[in-house]
Amino acid sequence: MTNLARTLRQALTIARRDFIATVFTPIFLLFLFAPVIMGSFGAIGGMGAASVADGRADKTRMVAILSPDQARVMTDADDRLRDVFRRDEEAPPALATLTPSGDTAAQARAAFESKDYEASAVLYGPLDRPQILYGPRGKRAADYLGVLAQETLTADKLGSVVPRVVATKTPLERQSGSAGNRRQSASFAVFGVFLLNLFLASQVVGTMAEERNNKVIEVLAAAVPLESVFLGKLLGMFGVALLFVGFWGTIIAKLGSFLPADVARALAIQTAVGTPVFVALFVTYFTMAYLLLGSAFLVVGAQASTPREIQMLALPISVLQMGMLALALAGTANPTGWIATVAELFPLSSPFAMAGRAATSPTIWPHLAAIAWQLLWVTIFITLGARLFRRGVLQSGSARPFWRRAKAN
Amino acid sequence: MVGSSEPAVFAEHLVKRFGERRVVDGVDLSVPRGAIYGVLGPNGAGKTTTLRTLLGIIEPDEGHRSILGHAAPREASDRVGYLPEERGLYPSMKARDAIAFMGALRGLDRRTGRARAAEMMEAAGLGHAIDEKIKKLSKGMAQLVQLLGSVVHRPDLLVLDEPFSGLDPVNQEKLESLILAERDRGATVLFSTHIMAHAERVCDRLAIIAGGKRRFEGTVDAARGTLPSQVRYLPTHPDAAIAEVLPHDAMRDGDGWRFQLPGEGIEGLLGTLIARGYGIGGLSIERPSLHDAFVRIVGRDAANQPGADQPNGGAAA
Repeated sequence: MTNLARTLRQALTIARRDFIATVFTPIFLLFLFAPVIMGSFGAIGGMGAASVADGRADKTRMVAILSPDQARVMTDADDRLRDVFRRDEEAPPALATLTPSGDTAAQARAAFESKDYEASAVLYGPLDRPQILYGPRGKRAADYLGVLAQETLTADKLGSVVPRVVATKTPLERQSGSAGNRRQSASFAVFGVFLLNLFLASQVVGTMAEERNNKVIEVLAAAVPLESVFLGKLLGMFGVALLFVGFWGTIIAKLGSFLPADVARALAIQTAVGTPVFVALFVTYFTMAYLLLGSAFLVVGAQASTPREIQMLALPISVLQMGMLALALAGTANPTGWIATVAELFPLSSPFAMAGRAATSPTIWPHLAAIAWQLLWVTIFITLGARLFRRGVLQSGSARPFWRRAKAN
Repeated sequence: MVGSSEPAVFAEHLVKRFGERRVVDGVDLSVPRGAIYGVLGPNGAGKTTTLRTLLGIIEPDEGHRSILGHAAPREASDRVGYLPEERGLYPSMKARDAIAFMGALRGLDRRTGRARAAEMMEAAGLGHAIDEKIKKLSKGMAQLVQLLGSVVHRPDLLVLDEPFSGLDPVNQEKLESLILAERDRGATVLFSTHIMAHAERVCDRLAIIAGGKRRFEGTVDAARGTLPSQVRYLPTHPDAAIAEVLPHDAMRDGDGWRFQLPGEGIEGLLGTLIARGYGIGGLSIERPSLHDAFVRIVGRDAANQPGADQPNGGAAA
């Protein structure tokens, strides 16, 4: 059996043990359904916030002080224009009209003090030179009132209400994504790889602690090289990560098939390399990001000797991940800039940045080079980690560098 | 494959330092194939570090070693079984799976490992605990499970670090039987201990280590031979003048005398004692025990050295 085959066999033995020990526990269910719990809390929070916003929106009005005839024309114009706003949150507040009485300027100011509604903007004066007052967050309503004044004045001049035009609308799909869409897809790819790794790669930090606490490490270290132990730990947890991603990926894919066609079209990713290749690269870069960050975290975590030390590592690890995300996202904003190049070359940000690149650039060979580059760093991290572990935990730092030992052997 | 004349374990001038301290200081070892070989030494002598260095768990700073003919111990790891001094098993694993897992680490396929584990546990009187989790077992039972895990793949070399510590007398006897059975199967057994009685009973050869240095290497008889036998003599007619006939080192021992067996033998002395009329009321020649030889070789000071085998906070010492 070759050394590589033996290393893989030993690593897979350890990976299998870790996978089973992790998955076949009640705690794993909690981990698996963490997104549901997180989503539930998010939904509850969102509903609360929406309820507060709805309550506020229900009472918000934009007010126009004008004659009853003009008020009728403006209301018609408002009905016509409001169709443009597809979502409630985009639409301006409901229109309320007041009949002028005395000093309209004073009447307009008084409208802001009304207890019946909350005025966001108030229009008064002649329609060709209207005055519009607006409060906090009322600028859009003020703009809209200006448009309504224009529409009302036009209809007034024409002597009748402007007729409705019914247009025939036909959706047309682009054959190739626009630069904006591709950049959006790049951001999605970067963020997707980041999010999955944020959840999963940091799980690796404490995996060596079990062996150290149970004194199993010497049994492992005697039977297999520490490099195999590290690789096995990494692969075991990667198996757990794949199970997690597979589970949620299946659910999300099934849910996606129930989405309305236009929503699905809006969510569809448009990439330079084409969807199948993009999906393959996304999976590959998720794997590489996991292996890279996981091996780095494993190495750091293996040096920690207590659960407290492992917990202390959570913050710097999160900061590091956020830093890599920021670097990669900055790269996607300008795919040909130097920041993008740095992000693609720096080992820990490389998978994120290259996932983004798959959306913006059709050239394939940089991906092959990047994967090789990233694999090299995974190997370096694992080898370095094993040496540090041997030196720090087993206290076996050799006085001689490895090339001299090899020569001696 | 190793030739039969080639030692199973060979070490030449093995040195391991922890900081400035030479925990293993130029140790030479040659363990013949098929032998039971003991590495004896007081606490902190460097036994564990020597074994760990031999197995490649840690790298030596100087010297050469070979295991089953391989200069790199890793290359022979599938043919080696190892029981570390500090026992360690995954608490949530079932006993049978733990044994099979240890076999799998050494290249044994899982199905065979599980089948053998069940057989071995039955044979060791642990049949009732086959599917018990390790955390449910007593310390002694867990230790036995780990020992079975170290031999489940039928290694050519079995290395046991202080295997008798923590075992009750019954299990100690079981372990001795297992060591002998492994030797009978053809395996080489290398174990460390500071309990002389076990070494005396089972070892074919042994090395005594103290202060990181090898102080003795040879058979148990040769170790005992480093001290002369003691003669206990009881005259039938005691007389103060008898001291003139006895060797110079003779000392009173109750009603009799005690002295080292003369190099030329006892016959001449006995003839003289009988001729002078002292008679022989009792006579015994006592060979020194391994314990006596160990204390003489190691020295009482070395036996009290602080723990030199304390290389880490997490793994075995």
